[in-house]
Amino acid sequence: MIEYKNIHKEYQGVSVINNINFKINNGEFVVLIGPSGCGKTTTLKMLNRLIKIDSGEIYIDNKNIMEVDIENLRRNIGYVIQQIGLFPNMTIEENICVVPKLLKWDKDKCNNRVHELLSMVSMPYEQYAKKYPKELSGGQQQRIGVLRAIAAKPPIILMDEPFGALDPITRDILQDEVKDLQKKLNLTVIFVTHDMDEAIKLADTIIFMDKGDILQIASPEEMLRAPANEIISEFMGKRGNFLDAENMACSDLMRTPVFTIKDDKKTLECIEIMKKRQIDSLIVVDKAGIFQGVVTIESIRSKGKAGEKINSLISKDFPTVLQDDVGKTAFDLLMDKKYDYVIVLTRDNSVVGIITKSSLAKALASVVWGEM
Amino acid sequence: MQYFFSTYGQMLLKAVFTHFYYVLISVSIGFCIALLLGILLSRIPKYSKIIIPIISIFQTIPGIVFIGILFIYIGMVPTTVIIALSIYAIFPILKNTYVGICEVPEPYKEAARGCGMSQFQILTRVELPIALPTIISGLRMSTVYTVSWAVLAAMIGLGGLGEFIYRGVGTNNNILIIAGAIPAAIMAICLGLLIDYVQKLVTPRGLREENSK
Amino acid sequence: MSWTLIFQHLYLVIMATIGTIVIGLPLGVLAYLNKSFNRLILWSVDILQTLPALALLGVIMVFIGGNSLTVIIGLILYSLLPIVRNTYVGLTNIDPAIKEAATAMGMGKFYKLIHVELPLAFPVVFTGIRIAVVTSIGVAVFGTFVGGGGLGSVIYRGIHIQNMNLIMSGTLSLMAMAIIFDFSMAWIEKKLYQK
Ligand SMILES: Nc1ncnc2c1ncn2[C@@H]1O[C@H](COP(=O)(O)OP(=O)(O)O)[C@@H](O)[C@H]1O
Ligand SMILES: [Mg+2]
Repeated sequence: MIEYKNIHKEYQGVSVINNINFKINNGEFVVLIGPSGCGKTTTLKMLNRLIKIDSGEIYIDNKNIMEVDIENLRRNIGYVIQQIGLFPNMTIEENICVVPKLLKWDKDKCNNRVHELLSMVSMPYEQYAKKYPKELSGGQQQRIGVLRAIAAKPPIILMDEPFGALDPITRDILQDEVKDLQKKLNLTVIFVTHDMDEAIKLADTIIFMDKGDILQIASPEEMLRAPANEIISEFMGKRGNFLDAENMACSDLMRTPVFTIKDDKKTLECIEIMKKRQIDSLIVVDKAGIFQGVVTIESIRSKGKAGEKINSLISKDFPTVLQDDVGKTAFDLLMDKKYDYVIVLTRDNSVVGIITKSSLAKALASVVWGEM
Repeated sequence: MQYFFSTYGQMLLKAVFTHFYYVLISVSIGFCIALLLGILLSRIPKYSKIIIPIISIFQTIPGIVFIGILFIYIGMVPTTVIIALSIYAIFPILKNTYVGICEVPEPYKEAARGCGMSQFQILTRVELPIALPTIISGLRMSTVYTVSWAVLAAMIGLGGLGEFIYRGVGTNNNILIIAGAIPAAIMAICLGLLIDYVQKLVTPRGLREENSK
Repeated sequence: MSWTLIFQHLYLVIMATIGTIVIGLPLGVLAYLNKSFNRLILWSVDILQTLPALALLGVIMVFIGGNSLTVIIGLILYSLLPIVRNTYVGLTNIDPAIKEAATAMGMGKFYKLIHVELPLAFPVVFTGIRIAVVTSIGVAVFGTFVGGGGLGSVIYRGIHIQNMNLIMSGTLSLMAMAIIFDFSMAWIEKKLYQK
């Protein structure tokens, strides 16, 4: 757990952080957001002591960070910056291994880790490990920037507008990857952005800052629904437009195309597919494309036999909506939090799309800020 | 030609060696001192902002002055030449080391700090490697200048290729001038090329410019 | 030490600088316009600067004897590099959008060069001139060995008769000259870049 207690910071007598307090749980994805110059970076960098705290304390797992050796502290906190900052004199492999090497991991362990990490982001070792940063695209570089940060398995990762300089498509992909990594590795992430779209997509909790104060700490949904004050709603766009979003149909909120499988597939095949796509459920349709249900990895694991067809494992107990249902239906189902997505069907029960939190956020954002 | 080599061959060979010896020793000494001072100055940027311009002023002193003054105080010994040339060799390397380190972009240093590197680790693993091409350019400048100023060793009777040029100029003997000038020129060009090559060798692929001239 | 020597030194430097500009500027432009010459030109001026100054002066002396012209020619050859290189770099680094706009307006190659490219490259060229001047002030000291006069002769005489005062007066005048030129030209340069 991370705890900021009465943190204060000033430059030349001008206060830039005014006695802020907040707590972050382990495994939580926290996004710091607010207008430029509001103190996000300062707040972030005080945690790995790149910026000195004037008064107040920060605790990590009840230990005051000022009592930890500064270099050790930093080696146990991953750090990703907007300018990427991969060392140009080192290969990709060497860059990823910087912190493991500082922690005196042996060669084999470092090497294994590089293989493991590169495969996580689908960048084959043989192709990329010996390259130099400038030989990669911006998106690939920042992917390595993220890997460098998590290489030594730190429990906490700090990211300061990591995708701010990337094009929108690459940004979107990297956001998904980071969110996946965070979930899979149960990382505690503090992420700075000034892009509300990004915050809604990634955050478990959003901390809204302005002029060195915290104005609201809330989940994305709550912040969308009930912004604490004018500044926040201003920042998120004109709230009046939000009402239109409630009149949207589910088909406006969904993501297409959607990946489905036929119901005569075998169990092992399904596990293979899930592994490859890194998902834990598959939508099943029959030969005519009619929705049959969902198979999950757990049901195959617990009840399935190798070589068996999946018919018997299909669960009908999964939220579905019709494509012209009002969007609010899908929203409520999703906020239930039990399911990662809602399946969208036509009147004759064929699958047309799914609605996820990020497709929802994107659709809402496009209402608030116009087509993106 | 035949005549020239039988008369001067031996002497020329010796002069080339002496010249090279002066250059090698002085540049080596200058390089070590300059590298250390440069690193030191980069640690105290506040003071260096004043110190570096002062050093630049000293750089306008021609090498002949160092040789001349040391000659008066130390006398007609090789040490005079070596000290003078070493001092002269320091400036370009020192300046380039300092500038090279200071110009390492802030994000790299911040990333290094964020990774948990100590000051010393940041210096050896990030700052110096990135500054290396600049430092080597300084070394090249120093070396080429030193070959040039070492010609003046002859002015105080301490040999080297300058002896031919010096004597040739004094006696209007064109053959002597050429005999000294050509090897000196070749030495400077070769050392320059050698350092260019070393520069290529030590610059990691990630720091090379794609379209280098 | 007399003012004559200072003026003599200045004369050598200024004549040489004018010569360097007259020769170096067209060479830089040529290197920019003609890609097949550019390597040859840049490489040659680089080699010239690598040559030991006294060796260069000695060889020139073989051809034209020892006088102030020897020194001026030596200085020109020696300081071509900064002017040629900066002219080339200055022209090359102009924003391609501006060049394209000029072409699109129907300017010919030569017209574009005179009216658009050279004026834009001028601050960079000026930096080259400054470097050339300051280098020449130092290298001109060698002039005394080939009968070219200048402040080198004061220092040289001081060393010969082991007179510290003489050496110092020569050196300090030289330093002052270098610093005054460097600073005042750097000041002009700053104004040029601000435009
Ligand atoms: N080194 C510094 N010296 C003076 N003021 C600073 C310094 N760093 C940041 N500030 C000021 O502190 C405030 C907060 O900065 P920062 O945390 O970087 O904002 P954000 O990351 O939210 O854009 C800004 O007003 C900024 O101008
Ligand atoms: Mg910031």
